[in-house]
Amino acid sequence: MAIKPEDALRLIAEARGGAICVPTMTTSPAWRTLAPDDLSVTCVGFMGGASALGLGLALARPDRRVLVLDGDGSLLMQLGSLATIAGARPRNFVHFVFKNGVYHTSGSQEIPGGLTVDFAMMAKAAGYRGAWSIGELDDLRRRLPAILGAEGPVLVELITTLANETPMTARGGVPFPQQVEALRIKLRSV
Amino acid sequence: MPESIPASLIIDTLKDTFTEARVAFAAEGQPPSRHAHLGWVLSVPDTHQRTVLAALDKEQAIRTLTCATEDEAVTVAAGLYLGGEPAVVMIQHAGLYASVNTLRGVSLDGRLPVFYLIGLLSRERDRDPRESRHSMVRHCEPLLDTFGVPHARLEGPGDLHLIPEYHRVSRERRGPAVVLVGLETS
Ligand SMILES: Cc1ncc(C[n+]2csc(CCOP(=O)(O)OP(=O)(O)O)c2C)c(N)n1
Ligand SMILES: [Mg+2]
Repeated sequence: MAIKPEDALRLIAEARGGAICVPTMTTSPAWRTLAPDDLSVTCVGFMGGASALGLGLALARPDRRVLVLDGDGSLLMQLGSLATIAGARPRNFVHFVFKNGVYHTSGSQEIPGGLTVDFAMMAKAAGYRGAWSIGELDDLRRRLPAILGAEGPVLVELITTLANETPMTARGGVPFPQQVEALRIKLRSV
Repeated sequence: MPESIPASLIIDTLKDTFTEARVAFAAEGQPPSRHAHLGWVLSVPDTHQRTVLAALDKEQAIRTLTCATEDEAVTVAAGLYLGGEPAVVMIQHAGLYASVNTLRGVSLDGRLPVFYLIGLLSRERDRDPRESRHSMVRHCEPLLDTFGVPHARLEGPGDLHLIPEYHRVSRERRGPAVVLVGLETS
């Protein structure tokens, strides 16, 4: 029971509307092609920071949803951000964690605790308003509209297989500082 | 050297700093703020600046968010900037050491303005921080120099102008800038 990450990302891309999206690690190569004109900023070079960058954006722009597309190893690196996010209570914050059980980008080493780590329970315990674990694509398709409309902060642990590409195999894309500048300018007019 | 810096003076200076930052953002094309507050303080509590943090609790014009780590505080500040909101990261020297990769990856490489107020807890009154007996105090300025981060030291109420000045430096250089709080706040 696991979802192909590209399939999950395609559903999220189709349903995202005007949301600001913050991919990182193996969600980033696929996201580049699925949502090229999107209000996105891909996190590279500060592993674990996607959730906090998303929080800052969500607090600055309460009128818009923010979708963080996190890695399981990345979230473990800044696990305290669950409590920080819960404490800040951004209603517009949706946290997807792509749980593949490994540090895929650095060579697929198992994460501490492997697949037994339950991010949905952790998020609930930290104080997120809702948190769910989903391992079937049809289930995600059915529940996604409600998840994206829910009062945040909410977290969805997606149990996934390995992505086709990682930032190491699919290099390129717009460099981080240029993405940052482009997003800042776009956000002024939306 | 004065004994301390009154928290109320720092808070008034932060308000002026945020107001100036918003004027600068507007000049770049940022639409008017949709928020009631002037700006954000992202903090991992610093013993040295605790009276400021206590006063901020009662302050409506500034929103304070306590973060679990300094990495988060810096990265949240960067996200706020992206969304057009001015922020200050208020931490202590140990927190700077704890979050060096974020300083590098987010603020330096990402070219994201992040302004830090860093408390030099245990700084001895009678000597330059670089000569401190405490490694936490001693390594701070050399570390900032290594990364090419502009910094200045607050040694008394007369130096408060450094706060808006270095906030401006961070915005204009699109990167980090630091004011070290060299004595306790009261
Ligand atoms: C501070 C830091 N430590 C270690 C690394 C090395 N590293 C790069 S990618 C990665 C794995 C990311 O794993 P995860 O967040 O689970 O994403 P996935 O690749 O599985 O999608 C690691 C450990 C790093 N980039 N930064
Ligand atoms: Mg992983």
